[in-house]
Amino acid sequence: MTFLVRGQKHRRKVVFERRAMAGSDASSSASKSVEDAVSGSSQNRQPHLAEPSSRLGDEVVDSVFRSQRVATMSATAARASMVPDLFTSPPHIRDLLNTQSSQIQEETIQECLPFLSGIEPGASYNDYGVPHLERKHHIQFLHKSLKKLPAPYVAADASRPWMFYWALAGLSALGEDISQYREPLISTVRPIQNVTGGFGGGNGQMSHLAPTYGIVLALAIIGGKEALDVIDRRAMWKWLGALKQPDGGFQVSVGGEEDIRGAYCAAVIITLLDLPLELPRDSPAWTNEGATLLTGLAEWIGRCQTFEGGFSGLPDAEAHGAYAFCGLACLCILGDPHVMIPKYIDVPRLISWLSARQYAPEGGFSGRTNKLVDGCYSHWVGGCWPLLEACLEGPSRPSVGESQSQAINLYSREGLIRYILCCCQDRTKRGGLRDKPSHSSDSYHTCYVLAGLSSAQHKWHFNPTETRIETSGNLASSYQWTCEPFVGDGHIYDEEDRVGTLHPVFVIPEGAAEKTRAYFVSKGGF
Amino acid sequence: MGRYEGDPEWDDVAPIPQDDGEGALAQIAYTDEYAEAMSYLRAMMAAKEHSQRVLDLSEHIISMNAAHYTVWLYRAATLFALNADIEQELNWVKDIALENQKNYQIWHHRQLLIDHLYPTISSEPRALQQLAESEISFMTEMFNEDSKNYHVWSYRQYLVRKLNLFNEAELKSIETLLRSDVRNNSAWSHRFYVVFSDPKNTTPGSRATEHDPKIPDEIIDREIEFSKAATFEAPQNQSPWNYLRGVLRKGGRKLSSQECFASEFVKIPEDGEECIRSSHALDFLADVWAEEGKIEKADEALLLLGDKYDRIRKNYWEWRRGMVKEEGVRKGLE
Repeated sequence: MTFLVRGQKHRRKVVFERRAMAGSDASSSASKSVEDAVSGSSQNRQPHLAEPSSRLGDEVVDSVFRSQRVATMSATAARASMVPDLFTSPPHIRDLLNTQSSQIQEETIQECLPFLSGIEPGASYNDYGVPHLERKHHIQFLHKSLKKLPAPYVAADASRPWMFYWALAGLSALGEDISQYREPLISTVRPIQNVTGGFGGGNGQMSHLAPTYGIVLALAIIGGKEALDVIDRRAMWKWLGALKQPDGGFQVSVGGEEDIRGAYCAAVIITLLDLPLELPRDSPAWTNEGATLLTGLAEWIGRCQTFEGGFSGLPDAEAHGAYAFCGLACLCILGDPHVMIPKYIDVPRLISWLSARQYAPEGGFSGRTNKLVDGCYSHWVGGCWPLLEACLEGPSRPSVGESQSQAINLYSREGLIRYILCCCQDRTKRGGLRDKPSHSSDSYHTCYVLAGLSSAQHKWHFNPTETRIETSGNLASSYQWTCEPFVGDGHIYDEEDRVGTLHPVFVIPEGAAEKTRAYFVSKGGF
Repeated sequence: MGRYEGDPEWDDVAPIPQDDGEGALAQIAYTDEYAEAMSYLRAMMAAKEHSQRVLDLSEHIISMNAAHYTVWLYRAATLFALNADIEQELNWVKDIALENQKNYQIWHHRQLLIDHLYPTISSEPRALQQLAESEISFMTEMFNEDSKNYHVWSYRQYLVRKLNLFNEAELKSIETLLRSDVRNNSAWSHRFYVVFSDPKNTTPGSRATEHDPKIPDEIIDREIEFSKAATFEAPQNQSPWNYLRGVLRKGGRKLSSQECFASEFVKIPEDGEECIRSSHALDFLADVWAEEGKIEKADEALLLLGDKYDRIRKNYWEWRRGMVKEEGVRKGLE
């Protein structure tokens, strides 16, 4: 996906031998072929990530690993039977016409099947054929991402503040104490703020909504007066005024592009910091009819819905998973989900498109029609479901266990959780989560895969009766969400593998947004 | 000694080193070369200097880190302040773009350049045509590397709007891409834009999901036929199905007008096993039948999808079944 600027992806080719396609009647033969593929790489419990020149022939693989395979065969067969054939066999209908899109899709299925089938030698699985969450390794991975980074990270020089947010959100979801980062975070972000308002990618860089969003969320996660007081709210408000456009949207930086990321990031900042909505007099969107920071914003978001039903990054482009979350979450800041979403969006078309993002056998989400699954869409697409479910259900409250079956449940939580735990974990000592098995873990994927896991493991309610903070200010809707563990379909993980809750709109630990907002409300104007 | 420190041309500049704060998180161990160049850029920006040496410096930094929006924005401001040769800049950026496929900033920079150039050539049809041709051939090069590159496609939409390229040549160039991969959804999306945002035939501001009465019937017919032909090549390809729905919506036509076509891929006999060649056809027919009030048939189609042909979306199909029944009850009461 392309939500932000990152270093080059280090995609390494997985060199599974291509297999004959298993027929829909033969999940056992599919398991057999994926087992072969895995045993060719059992040394490191990873697919064989070598250059094609080092490809092993099937015969070599067979002779080297035969003894091991015989030994694990009975356990493997038993485990394979716990995995529904939906996740071990190819799709029911496939066209004969071969194009680049269908070819890489087929390769991705072959890449994922060994991981989904519960037959990795030496790995430990639960009763559902699902591996455990490697919590300790992922925690170590995220801690490491905040330490000094080598020179090739220069490509991230303008997006570094994201790393603070990804690591702190991920660590919080994993239940790790992050208070050790309070002082370093404060002294790190201070020189990144500009006197003209907002934060840049680093010291001396122009302010930009993406790093500003990352830093505001990181400070909200860390919490406390000293951290929150770093933010110059008055300058922030002035700067947001300069970004606001007459057509309703926001530029990401002065003179920069206008897109739906800008809209979402701006809305998050305005509500969390409880900024006044009136426009500064020098804003390009200022009118003498009293236009505000929010004038035309929901309509602008509505213009990003495409004929497919999803959202594009700006009007007229292609529907894309990351932009769907930005659009929906922005609407859920501007008002109540059951009011705002149907008012500006064709909901049935959106749900149809969003639902089509989930693939089998992989179980995970893709970002666009005819593109591949990627772990980060566990959040960008997966995170849309709580917002849409709340849109359809209207105000609701946590049930006590049994009545949760009344709730609307629009996707396969089991599929997503299987993809996450089977395919997205780097289960070597390195840790971290990833796009798909052939990719390296990074902190971006670690954060958003965990956010998706959290969302699949919980049920959110938009619950105005249980408002936690005083709602007299502007934009109070997004502080009225409550949560409970999800029971039912998809409970294929052990309790120890449940991660913490992340707010469905802000994607920071439950309670952090409410506290941040309450702090700034209590401070009043600037 | 650094590249700039020892250069007499930069003698008058006091570089501003980066202030990373104490014990900074995720601090990047820059090379000396990058750190020095950036400290000179900070000095230039602080002095608001726009000069040839700023262009040289920014080129140097971009060669080390092309994902640096500040450098790009400052470079653009400098180019415009110096009234620099825009075409030369467009050429230089081409190479950078080809080397940095995933880069965001380059495409915004290119838009700024075109916006700046456009008024100077807007009265010369030949120059405009040359610009369009050279930009499109450059994008073709980009699409050879990645035919679904989101930034390039967004830029393409910008260019079509800016240079009014709602024309036959644009449709043909999309068809070329679809001929090599009929599943290229970016190309399908672009086609929808070119056809349904063409100011000649459409209502300004009409949303992508709404009926536009201004579109001539023959265009709707043409696009329906286009999507159908593609569907026959690979019936399980969702792109033309989504496109067809989009076209029908734009034309204000019922889905049931295409019942015959969708039935080509779905055979459900009274007894015996069904034959389904496309789950999207079945999805389409479920909507057709619901539209026609054939509640039981719609329900049967949705059940088949959830139980057999698209099981991962079972919950979605079940939700649709509920909606169809609710709609049936509502219609029954009227």
